[in-house]
Amino acid sequence: MVKSHHLAIEPGDIGRFVILPGDPGRCKVIASHFNNPEKVAENREYVTYTGSILNEPVSVSSTGIGNPSAAIAIEELRAVGADTFIRVGTSGGMQPHQIPGDLAIITGSIRDEGISKHYLPIEFPAVANSDVVIALREAAEKLGYNTHLGISHSKDSYFGQMAPERMPVVNFLKERWKAWVQGGAICAEMESAILLTLGAIYRLRVGSITLIAINQDKPELGVSTDTAPVIKTAIEAIKLLIQLDHNNEKERINDKRN
Amino acid sequence: MTRETELQHHIQMKVGDVGRYVLLPGDPGRCEKIAAYFDDPKHIIQNREYNTYTGTLLGEKVSVVSTGIGCPSTAIAVEELIAIGADTFIRIGTSGGIQPEIRTGDVAVVNSAIRDEGTTLHYMPIEFPAIADLDVVLAMREGAKKLGIPYHVGPTQSKDSFFGEIEPDRMPVDSRLNQRWKAWTAGGTICSEMEASTIFVLSSIHRKRAGGVMLMASISEKPPETPEEFADFKSRFDISRPIQVAIEGLKTLIQQDIQNC
Repeated sequence: MVKSHHLAIEPGDIGRFVILPGDPGRCKVIASHFNNPEKVAENREYVTYTGSILNEPVSVSSTGIGNPSAAIAIEELRAVGADTFIRVGTSGGMQPHQIPGDLAIITGSIRDEGISKHYLPIEFPAVANSDVVIALREAAEKLGYNTHLGISHSKDSYFGQMAPERMPVVNFLKERWKAWVQGGAICAEMESAILLTLGAIYRLRVGSITLIAINQDKPELGVSTDTAPVIKTAIEAIKLLIQLDHNNEKERINDKRN
Repeated sequence: MTRETELQHHIQMKVGDVGRYVLLPGDPGRCEKIAAYFDDPKHIIQNREYNTYTGTLLGEKVSVVSTGIGCPSTAIAVEELIAIGADTFIRIGTSGGIQPEIRTGDVAVVNSAIRDEGTTLHYMPIEFPAIADLDVVLAMREGAKKLGIPYHVGPTQSKDSFFGEIEPDRMPVDSRLNQRWKAWTAGGTICSEMEASTIFVLSSIHRKRAGGVMLMASISEKPPETPEEFADFKSRFDISRPIQVAIEGLKTLIQQDIQNC
């Protein structure tokens, strides 16, 4: 079998569970939480490690920045057998009570990007899988992290968010930002919308958790760069999902017997 | 006149007339049947398509208010209910079941909605997702599990045009409607109805909780022909199914709220 065009992976290289950071440089750190991690591929911004958790093969694969490269990653990963994904990343907090260092568990995404329209009309909601969201919430609770649950603003332009004043479409950007905040969006990031949309189309389980690195409207609160809590929460959530799958399998077998 | 005593223009109710928990059917004629599941249900008022009963569940005040058909009248109901203190909304009703594995009589636990309508554009840019509250979705899912009623969790298509869905081929924009329907199906949409997206978007804006439980009639199942098949269809396409699931789910939410406070 030929290796996939961008990620350079083939069936057998990865587990059904995949953690998706944006940054290729973060893969090794995440893989260090697996048993027997090994690098299986590196090409462009896509770095992949595979190891195991609770004896299940688990992988980490970087998406690069943005929905377009994230789409390629999840397309090629699901083509070789992955079906459960947790994005881990960083984001900007959007509600006044959010403090840098808090975690954001994403229940759905604003599709403020271009690529998901190449798959589904814009009216379609980008929604995280409930079981993944519950696992992330339980994991964060267990680990004692301060967590927010809600909608992410998934955008294409980093500087359109960080420096709207220097964009020719400044009024458009600011008016929409106000609407997202009023609608309760909790964090701004750049990959979840397409991951959740492709989850719907391919019937994958997809969830997303980010570190709130800054509060967009309260720069005086400073910056957090400690991604350990998001990574630990994602690892713990994968353990919970592996256990959930085992329990469901047992129930299914019992149902057949009865 | 203070806010406390002020009657809301369309629903013709004030603070105290409804509980914080509100079931939202489309049909005013269905409210009495739903209220029969409450303890001590009382008819409060009917104005236009807005019909209201209030009673209790586990000692907590709960209401059922009809929205009428479509997002415009639903937005009015939700806005005015929020103004008089409601904070948890459960849409309840009938719908078409889209995915091939869905059988007539299965229940849809709606977790999100396609914004295929005009009303929510007056509130939020179209990119914003219409999403149900996670705890409401979980409570409804548990309710269906507990009652042994087959259920599916997923998005609904919330549309403005009933006949655009049922008879797309006679619409001037038929090819657009058919192409989009194919996309909704490919995206895993489980059912089609006409109000959920507005309830979800308004709830996000006002930081309220919302969800939905819909009875589904399969669009791919062979229509009944013989008297036996009709009887079987009728026994499965039973509105008491989503009502029971919603009541069961509501009880779970009430218990959680009591524990959390």
